[in-house]
Amino acid sequence: MSGTGEKVTGTTKTPTDFLKSIRGKPVVVKLNSGVDYRGILTCLDGYMNIAMEQTEEYVNGQLKNKYGDAFIRGNNVLYISTVKRTLADGA
Amino acid sequence: MSIEEDATVREPLDLIRLSIEERIYVKLRSDRELRGKLHAFDQHLNMILGDVEEVITTVEIDDETYEEIVRTTKRTVPFLFVRGDGVILVCPPLRTT
Repeated sequence: MSGTGEKVTGTTKTPTDFLKSIRGKPVVVKLNSGVDYRGILTCLDGYMNIAMEQTEEYVNGQLKNKYGDAFIRGNNVLYISTVKRTLADGA
Repeated sequence: MSIEEDATVREPLDLIRLSIEERIYVKLRSDRELRGKLHAFDQHLNMILGDVEEVITTVEIDDETYEEIVRTTKRTVPFLFVRGDGVILVCPPLRTT
């Protein structure tokens, strides 16, 4: 995928830079269907295909499933956001 | 295969390759789930699965009591081609849910 970015004036100024910078970080991935996935981002590509670890699936704010590793097809992704991961979330 | 800037970075699809010939769980659109053995896949996530169990989940709402009735329909298929655009999520099978 060609990086259309021009004017890279700072550190993370293009979407591609952002995608490179968030590897290994805890993220929230929201899908078009409204389902939420929280986990640690292993890697992703230009199509927004995502590989995550320790993934938790939230539907309507409720924890539904936990996956050790998960791959999400990029066309379903609405957004990827970083989050400060709180330990022992509700546990 | 086009190589992006960092050739050493592994893509999510590389990691799916680790699951070839292993059993996987696939979440599809229309509230469907598959559990089967991954024989092949491509960049579209078209997949060939063997010994597959499909679970279709439906929720009915009773007109009078307004309670939600969750039903699941299961079927098994020995060999299946899955078109990639219906795939939402792929992972190793869930242990005990």
